[in-house]
Amino acid sequence: MSALAVARLDLRRLAVRPFAWTLGGIALAMMAWQFLLGVSAFMHAQPTLPGAASGAGFTAAVVAPYFLNYIQLCLVIAPLVTMQALAGERGAQRLALLRAAGVSGRAIVCGKFIARLAFLWLLLIIVATLPLVLAHATHPDWGQFGAALIATALCVAALTAIGIACSAFAAQPALAATAALLIGEGLSLIDAGVRMTGGDTGWLGYLALHTHLAPALRGLVRSEDLVYFLLIIALALVLAVRRIAGERGRG
Amino acid sequence: MTSAPALLELDSVSRRLGGRAVLHAVSFALERGDVLGLLGANGAGKSTTLAVIAGLLRPDSGHVRLDGQAIEDDAQACRNRIGWVPESVPLWPELTVTEALNACGRLRGMPRATRQAACARELARLQLEDVAGRLCGQLSLGQKRRVGLAQALLHEPDLLVLDEPGNGLDPLQTAELRGLIKQLSPRRGIILSSHGLTEVEAMCSRVVILHQGRVQHDAKLDPRPGKLAVQFRAIAQAPVEAAA
Repeated sequence: MSALAVARLDLRRLAVRPFAWTLGGIALAMMAWQFLLGVSAFMHAQPTLPGAASGAGFTAAVVAPYFLNYIQLCLVIAPLVTMQALAGERGAQRLALLRAAGVSGRAIVCGKFIARLAFLWLLLIIVATLPLVLAHATHPDWGQFGAALIATALCVAALTAIGIACSAFAAQPALAATAALLIGEGLSLIDAGVRMTGGDTGWLGYLALHTHLAPALRGLVRSEDLVYFLLIIALALVLAVRRIAGERGRG
Repeated sequence: MTSAPALLELDSVSRRLGGRAVLHAVSFALERGDVLGLLGANGAGKSTTLAVIAGLLRPDSGHVRLDGQAIEDDAQACRNRIGWVPESVPLWPELTVTEALNACGRLRGMPRATRQAACARELARLQLEDVAGRLCGQLSLGQKRRVGLAQALLHEPDLLVLDEPGNGLDPLQTAELRGLIKQLSPRRGIILSSHGLTEVEAMCSRVVILHQGRVQHDAKLDPRPGKLAVQFRAIAQAPVEAAA
């Protein structure tokens, strides 16, 4: 209940701050531009695409890369949205106010996570609406569309959780954003070198975001990919909760 | 026959921060109806003591008890009986006063009807009705302090913990604060920290003087003018071992 109260408070604060509106506006404008470019490229290439006759090629050629673009955008947006969540609140003593009101560390972390995730998922819903608008003409592959949407939503949740954890550990919001950006980019690029040379990525491959996004963007939802994202979310939130709950002891 | 436990009791509370012992076996008690002034020079441990009472810091040793119950035993229930106003009132600048108070009530799990009634009561009691629709970030320091006090009083706490409540207030606002504390004190215990001796003399019924984390004076306020200043100066200038 307290977590929901914290989430509601943070959502309200996000809604009245120009920062969230500006960030959301820029993100949506960039995504709309990417989508137009994708559709334009698809229309030029359509006569040569093997799947174009059935219409299924639109999802693979436009929608999947489009969702991947949103994830890449979230590598930057998520740290910006989450950096103030705990680091900024601690500096302004508002974290102490929450704790004095009897809100537990777990409720604070979960509430902050829910609020930021709701914002980024709201953007994802708007982003997903663009291909849906053309669904009547493009006949998307709904299975692939759904799989890509689920993977994108989970990946965004994982990036948000990482941002919250960094915000819990960092003393300054800027440090939190930098750390979250580095971790997100690290997970995104960790196996890039091996992939480019075509070698076996091994455990580096398991850690990489790409390994778990690629099957879903092709329409394949694997339980190991779901577990990967859920593990990142759980690990990041547990670390954040431990950090916040331990502040009574550390001071 | 055993006497009833004090509303608040600190029993040999010690606490280290950043490797430095900030509180050394601090003990004192507070009864309902008392206004206790916590005096001390900068770094004496006043804010740390209040943070321990408010449940924001865990004591390394010793106990804080509320009506005889250790806060650690049921931290949630105890926090519901404490209202805390920090030195720099941490409000949400982008919310209106009403929204901020509502949010505080919601965080404390107050039902909607109770919350709204409590907000209206505190807005009236603290004369905040005129600024109820204004953003917290646009309030003057005195108004911010009153909003801070309103959020601490929403749940009608038994114990009110005020960290430097008079800091930065003009004489008129200080007089209002004194009146308010007098009005609030009969039904609850109030503990406030301050640098201002006149402020403590005007508001408090008891005084605890901390020096380098130790309680050096704990007694009812001596009403003779200037007496508190003499006591405070003697303690603040004495080496710790001699004073102890």
